Amino acid sequence: MSENPEVNVAEAEATPITIGISFGNSNSSIAFTSPDGKAEVIANEDGDRQIPSVLSYLTGDEFHGQEARNQLVRNAENTVAYFRDFLGKSFAEIDPTHSHASAHPVDADGKPAFKVKEKDNAPASTLSVNEITSRHLRRLVTSAADFLGKPVKSAVVTVPTDFSEAQRAALIKSAKAADLEILQTIHEPVAAVLSYSAKENHQPEDKTILVCDLGGTRCDTAIVAVRGGMYTILATAHDYELGGFKLDEVLVEHFAKEFIKKHKSDPRTNSRALAKLKLESEAVKRTLSIATSAPLAVDSLHDGHDFHSTINRLRFEMLSKKVFDDIVKLAEHTVQKAELDLLDIDTVILSGGTSHIPKIATRLAQIFPVGTAIHAPATDTAALNPSELSAKGAAIQAALIQEFDTEDIHQSEHPGVTVAPHLAAAIGVVVSPSADEAEGFHILLHPSTALPARGKAEFTVSADGDVVVKIAEAERYIHVTKPEPVEKPAKEEKDEDEDEDSDEESDEEEEEEKREKKWKVKGVLAEARLQGVKKEDKVEVTVNAAVDGGLNIAARVVGTQNGVRGVIKPSA
Amino acid sequence: PFSGEWTHDSAFVAHGSITAPVNRKLEPLGPHFLAHARRKRHNRTFSEDDRI
Repeated sequence: MSENPEVNVAEAEATPITIGISFGNSNSSIAFTSPDGKAEVIANEDGDRQIPSVLSYLTGDEFHGQEARNQLVRNAENTVAYFRDFLGKSFAEIDPTHSHASAHPVDADGKPAFKVKEKDNAPASTLSVNEITSRHLRRLVTSAADFLGKPVKSAVVTVPTDFSEAQRAALIKSAKAADLEILQTIHEPVAAVLSYSAKENHQPEDKTILVCDLGGTRCDTAIVAVRGGMYTILATAHDYELGGFKLDEVLVEHFAKEFIKKHKSDPRTNSRALAKLKLESEAVKRTLSIATSAPLAVDSLHDGHDFHSTINRLRFEMLSKKVFDDIVKLAEHTVQKAELDLLDIDTVILSGGTSHIPKIATRLAQIFPVGTAIHAPATDTAALNPSELSAKGAAIQAALIQEFDTEDIHQSEHPGVTVAPHLAAAIGVVVSPSADEAEGFHILLHPSTALPARGKAEFTVSADGDVVVKIAEAERYIHVTKPEPVEKPAKEEKDEDEDEDSDEESDEEEEEEKREKKWKVKGVLAEARLQGVKKEDKVEVTVNAAVDGGLNIAARVVGTQNGVRGVIKPSA
Repeated sequence: PFSGEWTHDSAFVAHGSITAPVNRKLEPLGPHFLAHARRKRHNRTFSEDDRI
């Protein structure tokens, strides 16, 4: 009798758990969903939640995460970093730029690999990117299992939207070699959206979201349409020359110049000094996201000189203006790519480590209309930690599918299930008396809603008598109200005189013109009449759009049998 | 908000069909997608799914 409970406890502990992993070039995170449904990011044994994707070898020991990253100064040639994007690629395809300060990728039968000295008295071994990934994942999984006290056998892993099938396959294969089954690979921006929709208890409103994933070595953006709780990516953009490393470079340059002024020698000419300055500059950058000034202190930086300095946030923002400009441009470009207007974006989610920088959030807020939610720590007090969004999203998905058969998961990823017809135009009710009036349109189904879909709304009747419900399609247009044309002549004169100044002024003028999003009714699809309706009665209108484009319409006076149903056939 | 002269015989009249939908790819994650996949695999409608 007394043994039984113990056995049960042991069994419960042995039940494997599925975790979420965000695997980045610079940092990785592990997360799980607690039994009460909350996704949480796990700290590793160093106490880090953002675990550097770095492995290092010294005197026969393997170092991982922050410990490995610190070895970039004294043991750079045996330290492997920035390898995620090399997975599943040939040696010719990779961009080794970021590996210059650590172990260089070498060509091993056409595939990228790294040559590192694993043991002191042995020759250097050549480790494939797959092998490095396996070791990295194994360390992550061990940290998660130690924290949870349960074995971890499977995971959902986030990948960028431009990850090829070959890269996915290489990732799954590398995980398998580390005894980890990847149940699903999900896209980073959608994982970020999922983190936020979990906050709303998964009853998300229909929204069009711009996700800016601002990382260490790259920035990725995506427009995600949320319709009926389902996610469709409308456009993506990538910039591999943009990211936190650019800001580190800005700081390195700033501090190096200061050092040169004081000591007449350039610390950037020495690789060890440069590595030290890079690491410290990144720490300064992080501090500047939470404080308005940050100190820098490096003992014996170069030529035996110690270096102490401080920088304030304003100075940093001035020096980084170009990088911030590029991020704003990337965001604007993505919206254009989706053939949308900035006014179509309801929410901006900032994800990734670089999103902690306050100026980036405020700069993005400036291009969007007031009222667009910008989810970042600087602009939204309820914002989630941008560094944790991907991992949390993966953990949420992991909890949803961990009971499923692998076969079921793969089937649901099949194009037969994921490819669906999406509405080209909005469907709704014409509320205003004349169909030409743009304002009087109430949307039931937004454009880009996947079929089948259903939409429903209630309207209050304003007078006794018959009610005619008009179901129509509508198109969004941007209504521009020009500012008063009085100042025009004076401005043109100025244009000729001073070019740059007047450019700025005319920009300000343009800001004064009012741009609004409006709906134009394209055509009435159907009409329904309800007879004998009383003032203050509520009319409920329901549309059901079928996969073939057919439409089922029902209008009904709430609480009565008085109703009309009808069907619109799909176009031939 | 609704008005207009009613000149039709029946209480419902259809005038046309919706603009042809565009095929796009759904992201296979989140509870609503999993429900969608379940309906699609078992060939169920929304209301059939609600009853289960």
